Amino acid sequence: MSATPTGDGNVFTQLLGKLGDHHGFYIGPYKVLSLPIILWDDGQLHVYRSPSEMEAAGKYRMVMGHPVRTLDGAKPALDLSITNLVVYQWLGMLLLGWLLWRTVSRYRKAPLQPPRGLQNAIEAIVLFIRDEVVRPNIPAHHLAQRLLPYFLTLFFFILVLNLLGLLPGGHTATGSLAVTGALALTAFLVINGGAIATIGLKRWLRHLLGGGPLWLSPILVPIEVIGMFAKAFALCVRLFANMTAGHIALLALVGLIFFFGTVLIAPVSVAFSVFVYFLETLVAFLQAYIFTILTAVFLGLATEESH
Amino acid sequence: MELGLAWLAAGIGVGISVLGAGTGIGRLGAAALEAASRQPETAAETRTLMLIAAALIEGIALIACIVCILLAVKTA
Repeated sequence: MSATPTGDGNVFTQLLGKLGDHHGFYIGPYKVLSLPIILWDDGQLHVYRSPSEMEAAGKYRMVMGHPVRTLDGAKPALDLSITNLVVYQWLGMLLLGWLLWRTVSRYRKAPLQPPRGLQNAIEAIVLFIRDEVVRPNIPAHHLAQRLLPYFLTLFFFILVLNLLGLLPGGHTATGSLAVTGALALTAFLVINGGAIATIGLKRWLRHLLGGGPLWLSPILVPIEVIGMFAKAFALCVRLFANMTAGHIALLALVGLIFFFGTVLIAPVSVAFSVFVYFLETLVAFLQAYIFTILTAVFLGLATEESH
Repeated sequence: MELGLAWLAAGIGVGISVLGAGTGIGRLGAAALEAASRQPETAAETRTLMLIAAALIEGIALIACIVCILLAVKTA
């Protein structure tokens, strides 16, 4: 067991380093497993079973928690390693798959029985997403029906990752720009793909005029194009920042004890930490909801008839 | 000197952006509460609209905060 690698610099960058991604599976600050390193460099794939094996092979070495070339200290072209947050996403998928499989199999076995236990909770969430989030915001009914699985996946996946990060020792995969960026990329593709599939390419292009006359297009088209990307970018940053901000607040509150070097500050720190923790639990649900509903709203706006 | 200025800018910037976001969310909350109390039957719809608008305001504030963080962790 060894502590998480930390970067140099001030306390703030060190805290951010704790929240970043690592080449090992960690529970809290403790390393449980070394994870394989997969690098794409010099036009070929380099696969090592662990960081130590990579260092033993000699071609690459770890600097500040990231592999670099031993020869010139340059970063490899692509780092496709299985990292800590990838493992947490897999855990989330397994957990979600198991939970939902159990619920669905109970419906298959006894479709006319009233729902029981966990089934109640899952059913309530699914109905909420369908009736309050997807259907009212997407005017084209068949599109809403077709994309309902996507929105359900989005909500459950983000929620499970957020909650996994709140378990003691858990790491928050949604607190990483790479993960939220990928989620926002799917949202971007769904918004524009769904719009093109529903209203056709011609009317989708007319949306870029923003409803203005043709002579305003030099101003309006760039604004609309930027807006298209800004929506996805804001989705990505919002989820990332919300999940990271709570963790930073927690670390800072606990850090107060060490900053003052006295146990007298501990009751204050602990009380505020518990408060922030409950707030984070609320935020975990709220952000999963916001991501889902904003994607639905943007899709609804993009498929709207222009007047 | 320059690092000090960056930290100063980060502090002032985060203060101003929080001021803007706070004003925005405060006005939004007040308006939503008023709408909900005038027409309690549409309270659920009002809440959804409020959350969406709050998320958009928050998004702008977060982008401002990220600019401030980039200033605060500036090393050279």
